[in-house]
Amino acid sequence: MIQKIRVISTNPNDDLLSKSLLFEIRKNLKINSIKKIRTAKAYRLEGVTEKEALLLSQKLFSEKINQIFSINKSIFNKNYHSFEIAYKPGVMNPEVASIIASAKNLGINLISCDSSREYYFYGNATIKYLKDLIRKLNLLNTTVEHIVEKEPKTLIVRGSPGETSIISIRRVGDEKLMFLSKDKLFLNLSEMKVIQKYFNKLKRDPTDCELETIAQTWSEHSGHKTFKAKLFVDGKEKKPLIERLKNEALKHGKNIVSAFVDNSGVMDFYEGYAISAKGETHNSPSAIEPYGGAMTGTGGVFRDIVGTGQGGKTIISTDIFCLANPNLSPLLLPKGCLPPKYILKRVIKGVADYGNRMGIPTSNGSIHFHDDFRAKPTVLVGAYGIMPKKYAKRGKPKIGDVIVSIGGRVGRDGIHGATFSSGEMTDQTIIVNSQAVQIGNAIEEKRMFDAILEARDKDLIRAIQDCGGGGLSSAIGEIGEATGVSVELKNVLLKYQGLSPWEIWLSESQERMILAISKNNIKEFERICKKYNVEISILGTFDGSKKLKVYYNKKLVANLDMNFLHHGLPQRVLKTVCSNEKVPPFSGWNLEKQKVLMPQTQQQWISTLKKVLSHDNVCSKEPIVRLYDHTVQGTNILQPYGGEKMNGRNDAIVIRRLLVKPYGMVVSHGLNPILNRIDPYFGSIWAATEAISNYVAVGGDYKNASLINNYIWPFPDEESLWSLDKSVDAVCDFMSTLKMPVISGKDSLSSTYRKDNLVIKIPPVLCISVFGKIPDVKKTISSDFKKEDSVICLVGKPDFENMAGSTYLEILFNANNLTMKQFSNIPHIDLKLLPKILTVLNKTIKTGHILSCHDISEGGLITAIFEMCVGGNMGAQIHLPGGRMDSWKVERPDYFLFNETSGCFIVEVRNEKIAKKLFKNIPYLILGKTKKEKLITVKNKNKNLFGAGLDELKKACQEPMKKIFN
Amino acid sequence: MIPKPKVLVLKADGTNCDEELYFAFKLSGGDPKIVHVNELRNKQESLKRYNILAIPGGFAYGDDIVSGKILAVELTSFFSEELKKFTERKDTLIIGICNGFQVLVRTGLLPFGTMSEMQATLTNNDSGHFECRWINLKINPNSKCVFLNGLNTSDGGRLSEREAMTPPRWIVSFQVAHGEGKFFASNETIKTMEQSNLIVFRYVDDKGKPTQKYPDNPNGSLHAIAGITDPTGRILGLMPHPERFVRIEQHPNWRRMKIPKPQGLPIFGNMIKYIKNE
Repeated sequence: MIQKIRVISTNPNDDLLSKSLLFEIRKNLKINSIKKIRTAKAYRLEGVTEKEALLLSQKLFSEKINQIFSINKSIFNKNYHSFEIAYKPGVMNPEVASIIASAKNLGINLISCDSSREYYFYGNATIKYLKDLIRKLNLLNTTVEHIVEKEPKTLIVRGSPGETSIISIRRVGDEKLMFLSKDKLFLNLSEMKVIQKYFNKLKRDPTDCELETIAQTWSEHSGHKTFKAKLFVDGKEKKPLIERLKNEALKHGKNIVSAFVDNSGVMDFYEGYAISAKGETHNSPSAIEPYGGAMTGTGGVFRDIVGTGQGGKTIISTDIFCLANPNLSPLLLPKGCLPPKYILKRVIKGVADYGNRMGIPTSNGSIHFHDDFRAKPTVLVGAYGIMPKKYAKRGKPKIGDVIVSIGGRVGRDGIHGATFSSGEMTDQTIIVNSQAVQIGNAIEEKRMFDAILEARDKDLIRAIQDCGGGGLSSAIGEIGEATGVSVELKNVLLKYQGLSPWEIWLSESQERMILAISKNNIKEFERICKKYNVEISILGTFDGSKKLKVYYNKKLVANLDMNFLHHGLPQRVLKTVCSNEKVPPFSGWNLEKQKVLMPQTQQQWISTLKKVLSHDNVCSKEPIVRLYDHTVQGTNILQPYGGEKMNGRNDAIVIRRLLVKPYGMVVSHGLNPILNRIDPYFGSIWAATEAISNYVAVGGDYKNASLINNYIWPFPDEESLWSLDKSVDAVCDFMSTLKMPVISGKDSLSSTYRKDNLVIKIPPVLCISVFGKIPDVKKTISSDFKKEDSVICLVGKPDFENMAGSTYLEILFNANNLTMKQFSNIPHIDLKLLPKILTVLNKTIKTGHILSCHDISEGGLITAIFEMCVGGNMGAQIHLPGGRMDSWKVERPDYFLFNETSGCFIVEVRNEKIAKKLFKNIPYLILGKTKKEKLITVKNKNKNLFGAGLDELKKACQEPMKKIFN
Repeated sequence: MIPKPKVLVLKADGTNCDEELYFAFKLSGGDPKIVHVNELRNKQESLKRYNILAIPGGFAYGDDIVSGKILAVELTSFFSEELKKFTERKDTLIIGICNGFQVLVRTGLLPFGTMSEMQATLTNNDSGHFECRWINLKINPNSKCVFLNGLNTSDGGRLSEREAMTPPRWIVSFQVAHGEGKFFASNETIKTMEQSNLIVFRYVDDKGKPTQKYPDNPNGSLHAIAGITDPTGRILGLMPHPERFVRIEQHPNWRRMKIPKPQGLPIFGNMIKYIKNE
């Protein structure tokens, strides 16, 4: 018998969820027929008496100060329609384990339990209408949840495992081979044929386990086939992308501890420590279940840090999203895609709920909007870590070591995640692949990390591997590559019975890792895990056979040569040519006659500036940062926001991980998908320059920093492969210019949507992240203006003429019904000049001459100045350079103010003399002064262009995200 | 006289501010140790050996059901007697920060020391979401909470430069980082707490007045309550995080204002001093 408990707040005013739903219904959906909503939390308990349920209701589920409960009967008076929304059976509900443990503490043994939420609607509406309303309110995500229509008889998920099946592939034709691959294995014909040949040689057919293992090891997600492919670009052979990146990176290896070989890139830190970084996307799951997708993505990238060397500690989390405009018309949303505002809110909630629970500060990130992300959003999560250097090199299992699985139990969740995320998205994706998504359980991961780090410090861990995409098949396949393994699947701890061997082997159930531990250390390791309530299971040994042997109940279900698995994948040969439709350069735009479009009156200037500041890509993201615990661990030295009113945006973050030492770690990033689409080479240079500018602007030293590159691209057809090639070249040139290495990276090349004639490719994303070390955190600066009447300088040389892809031009063109597509002249960064500027800036910041500094990016020079004014809560008076002042000629004040060349900085110094002395060897320009009066004024040739109140501008800048997140 | 007071920093699954709390006590001259609740349950460790019980922030057991509930049930189920003995000793103090405060309230130890009998609760922020920001707190000058000596003279924090030069007394600036921090109790309970000066910290606005206005009051706490003590003055619970302000550079504006000393530090220093003098 199941006991059902319902809990509600005594005072309807405390039912916050119902209040916000009613608000949404009234304000956004304009529905007045619903008079009232209430919500209840429901718990179902199996295996207890009603008396026991009463005790649990009083002691655990409700608090009589502000709540009331009912057992097995309704809690409200009639006249409502109610819906109960629960996780589908088999989807892990993170609360369940806590409830069972706590009931046990109170002396009550539950067989099983579940929790859910009930919604009560009062007013004139039919059931059908309300179900539709639930959909509009996005209360239900059918991927993981359902409306409970019938009381369940039991909460236990049962089933009996299927047999391992043999799949005939030896004597089938091409068509049948491709039928086997489609929607399941995602391999191409030549790859399928290699598999066929392998089994022909073995004189047997593969088992489902074997075929799935090969498919996931060879998937784009795990195998990075495009990056390893032999490339022909415009008829000429070029080195594989990954080789180009590695070759260049290793030329600049003075700080590298480990690059491209482990789960994250590691560089040297101080006093026997090393720091590491990793960026990872989770786009496909986030497209269909953004909350679960963002959670599991975040959890996965944290495990990459812990899964580095013999175990690292995760100390920073970052989030970078590219989404469609949150106010996109539903009519423009392709079939099978979720509304962007919903995705935005849910991915942020996913990152926040996971990072906050883990106690890892989410302190750096950004959001970029473009409507071509409407079908496939980009969700890029990053993590940074620290570890003693002696534990920083990738571990190698020894023959005889034990294979240990640690962490969560295995269910049917996330099967085919790795192969799924390598496929393009269609309108069927959300239906067919829904099992590839799951909800994360941060606490499971937290206690697992606690146990791993204690075991590491006792020297118990030989090697460690994250269990992510591909599940055990990938984790064990990788960690045992050199030795070979024998694995017994019956030892895997399951969430519920009934999983077939291949499901256990492939399941991507989260919060698990695989370790290699010496036999002698197992007892001690078990003891530590027990202390932290962490479950482990011993799955087998590293046996020296160089084979991957998998048993289920002692019966062999897979037996593959490691060499074939890891090196049997044929190298792809890919061709690409420059498309003839390359957009013409933007010359001629600068014509006098176009000046008519420039703001003319003070009103027009202010209104244009406000439009730029309130543009999605420029507006303040502060309300989002406040949802993240960005200061937990107490390491913050420069926070994402600071200044007089705590709302001035900083360019990067600085932390002091070793709390008693002066050493700092700096983290920043840069990307611009819009520029990348127009010009993949200079767009990528822009992104890398933006990243390093953010880094140097706060006092980071680029000579002691490393890069992480993440490529999120449309499916690499000829056109997209061409831009990918250009982007990789740009990253190599950037490394070579600044003599700094990329030490880790990841590619996700499936961001294309296809349905009938509709093809949507995302603007390609290259995200460059920078991290590194500085000897003294006190020699860092923030972006807020510090003093009244100090001097504001522009440092660097903006490419004023080149405005394509800028926020300003988009606004200007939209207002005049022009389209931006035909222009290709995005700002070019002078790579010869860049190292000089960065070096000077770094030196002058270290010597304490710079009061504040901010780099120029989206929104341009005036936006940077505005943000510094916000931080300082003061105004600024700017003079445009008049006529021909040496090399500075400003023919168009609008271009001067809104140009978005990265690698340029706004700097505050005490007086002009200091500026002259500091910057004599690099381009710079005195712009004006900070002012006490909260007014930003811009003068051109002694004529006032405009003067705008800071508070008015601030309101424009803060409003868009406040509307969504408050 | 106790040379180095021993501090038990209690850890459970999901506790995540333990290291910075450990550091705060270390910096203040204590002898802290992070102890997992399982080590108490299997008697490897005992409260008897310690002077201070510190329950850090985080999400103990995921804050499942409501924040701090599962850990509070665990403590009252297994450690009622031990805790009672601990609080009866004269050389002991208890502090609960954020999640630790939620646990203390749910065990009943705060506000009135009624073990297993909850008198108040901490519930969802009125905003409906998690909030991480710096806020100003006013300290009740009549509180007999032993943690507060010296806090009245500190300055700095999230005050404008002008204000920082003439610091209003009894105001400190800390961070909050929580989703369930709204203090809630019956009118009588709050009245009793007021009368016995159990309310220690209140959220205040720019002028130093207790406020219900978001975001100065980040969660809608009744009577702007941010932190409370018990009738002995030896148990303190608060939502804001003093352990995140024990070094000057932890403040976002150390570059633009003069912060003579980090404002969270005296709380821990006072605790150590108190034990030493017992």
